[in-house]
Amino acid sequence: MNAIPLLFYVGAMLAYGVHFARRHPIAGRTATTLLIFGALAHTFVIGMQTMEFGHVPVAGATSAISTFVWLLALSYLYTELTTDERAMGVFILPLIVALQTIPALRPGAEAGSDVLKGPLFGVHVSSLLFAYASFALACMIGITYMLQFKEIKAKHLGFFYQRLPSLQVLDRMNHVAIVIGWIFLSVGLVVGFVWAAQAKSYAAGSPQVQAMSIGDPKILVAVVCWVIYSFELFAARLIGWGGRKTAYLSLIGFSVVMFNFVAISYFLTKSHNF
Amino acid sequence: MKLLLVGISHRTAPVEIRERVDFNVRGLPEALTSLASRGSAKEAVIVSTCNRAEVYVACDDAGAARADVSRFITEFTEVPQGHVEPHLQEFVDLDAAKHLFRVAAGLDSLVVGEPQILGQVKEAHTAAAETRTTGPVLNRLFHSSFAVGKRVRTETSLGSGAVSVSYAAVALAKKIFGDLSGRNVAVIGAGEMGKLTALHMKTQGVHRMTIVSRTMAHAARTAQAIGGASAAPWAELDTVLGGSDIVISATGAAQPILTKAHLEQIMRPRRNRPLFIIDIALPRDVEAAAGEIEQVFLYNIDDLQATVRENLARRASEVTRAESIVDEELAKFAAWFRSRGAIPTLVALRQRFEAIRRSELERLDFKLSALPPDARARVDEITHLIVEKLLLTPTEQLKSGDAESVGAYAEALTRLFALSDDDAASNVEPFHRDRRRQPR
Repeated sequence: MNAIPLLFYVGAMLAYGVHFARRHPIAGRTATTLLIFGALAHTFVIGMQTMEFGHVPVAGATSAISTFVWLLALSYLYTELTTDERAMGVFILPLIVALQTIPALRPGAEAGSDVLKGPLFGVHVSSLLFAYASFALACMIGITYMLQFKEIKAKHLGFFYQRLPSLQVLDRMNHVAIVIGWIFLSVGLVVGFVWAAQAKSYAAGSPQVQAMSIGDPKILVAVVCWVIYSFELFAARLIGWGGRKTAYLSLIGFSVVMFNFVAISYFLTKSHNF
Repeated sequence: MKLLLVGISHRTAPVEIRERVDFNVRGLPEALTSLASRGSAKEAVIVSTCNRAEVYVACDDAGAARADVSRFITEFTEVPQGHVEPHLQEFVDLDAAKHLFRVAAGLDSLVVGEPQILGQVKEAHTAAAETRTTGPVLNRLFHSSFAVGKRVRTETSLGSGAVSVSYAAVALAKKIFGDLSGRNVAVIGAGEMGKLTALHMKTQGVHRMTIVSRTMAHAARTAQAIGGASAAPWAELDTVLGGSDIVISATGAAQPILTKAHLEQIMRPRRNRPLFIIDIALPRDVEAAAGEIEQVFLYNIDDLQATVRENLARRASEVTRAESIVDEELAKFAAWFRSRGAIPTLVALRQRFEAIRRSELERLDFKLSALPPDARARVDEITHLIVEKLLLTPTEQLKSGDAESVGAYAEALTRLFALSDDDAASNVEPFHRDRRRQPR
């Protein structure tokens, strides 16, 4: 079922590419329309799964990725429609397509572990997925900032200069995305710790719950992410980092997030392999 | 007659050379008189702006004239030959004409399509006309270039919109700051260019504009001219810079007034607030190394060329149309210019034919006198038409050929019809009347 939104996303990606290269308004409108259809189809898929399982499909790594992509598509659409700025689409859509390919190729059923019950778990996962979506946007905005900065600084006002918004706007957008992401990351982590403490009382026998400590790669790296983003948000600007350096931090932070979200979830963690 | 252009422009010479090779310093009339006194140039016009210094010459010997003009440039401007010579560009005949047409069209300008250059070309020609150093070739050349400039302006949108150094600066500021409202602008110096850029910024709704100048009265006057700006004394320069987002520097200082170390000091308390410095002064006001500071965006007048190239690319279709106008007008000028080489031969040939016609009519007068006046007039007309028809093809061939074939044809005609120089010397008028009737 995840293949249908994927097809729309692929179409949107191509249209955003054409729009970015040729700056053709029709291509731009087509891209946005395709992305809206993709997001609607994705909403339908997630709605169906929610009805099927009785909760939002976030428990398994694969369905969590699908939900993350859905949130990312919605967040990006919100940004595009509120800022009237389409240039970022060409950077976001490849990520959406790449990640959506995973659930599209692995249509496994949602894990129904008894451990994963209760409202706290839902809050934990949805908060983190939303935080990741914000960080993904921040990362792409950071990349565009670096491209724009490079061209203006090098006095070669070329391809990107024509197409990207101003440095100040990109810096501000990056900052807003990081603030939102950081808030949801903090909430998700705190709720996660609380939920883990509770789970230890009612599901002590589960191997995953037993592995839940700061030493587990998934949890450790999540805390590392929080440290990186906290630094970017509070310390970096105080010590006079800004613009390009915070853009770098957004890129590094999101690379770590993706590593944690995909590679560690599938291969390394013992506590989150549901 | 050969057409020769020797000069420098922003494309061939850096700012350092251009600011020294400036004929306006001692005045164009003096320069033209000095050049004319050297003898090798029959006609001369000098186009001297802040972005170019070009000497247009009509001469008989291009080699001698080139050496002469080159010597004249170095001697008159007192810039050592070794400094100027590597940057000199030269064009001969139609290449020179094409260059001037492109200059007048604004195609060769730093900011493509900028409107001032046509006026500057006109002034250059007027100065030469007043000094009596211009003549038929350069008059025709320059009037053609005015036509090119006018056509490009009316038939394309190359010159429309605010395509100028100051516009380029505003566009850049917008790419750094986004919306310019709420930004503070500092203007250092009180020159015209600075004022123009400041006015452009003003229309973008900047928050505060402060003029800093070495003389407070000067600053106050400029502030008043811009309107809504305030003036500050030179001593407060650092404070003003600290509170500014955009700095327009356009002083007449001989040495840089802002060094990298100085700017680093100013940037420290600003943390990350970007500072956009537009250095439009000649010589430059801001040390180039200052651009290495992370949040300092430094553009001097040469750098703005990059932004202009971008405009050029965006208006590529307009440029193509303007270039085709240049080519059209060049073709017209080329026809005229080439035909000039054939004029003496053509005139001689025409006179020879006309003389034959008249002598034959006179010889047959006794036979024709029996005819009624009406019929005699017809005979005169018919013979005239025959001569015209006979001359038509050779005339066209001569006019349309390239320089080499024109020479060969002229030579052949001179021999075949035993044309002497005496024939060519007089009565040029009929040919010229003919030229004017040519379809445009």
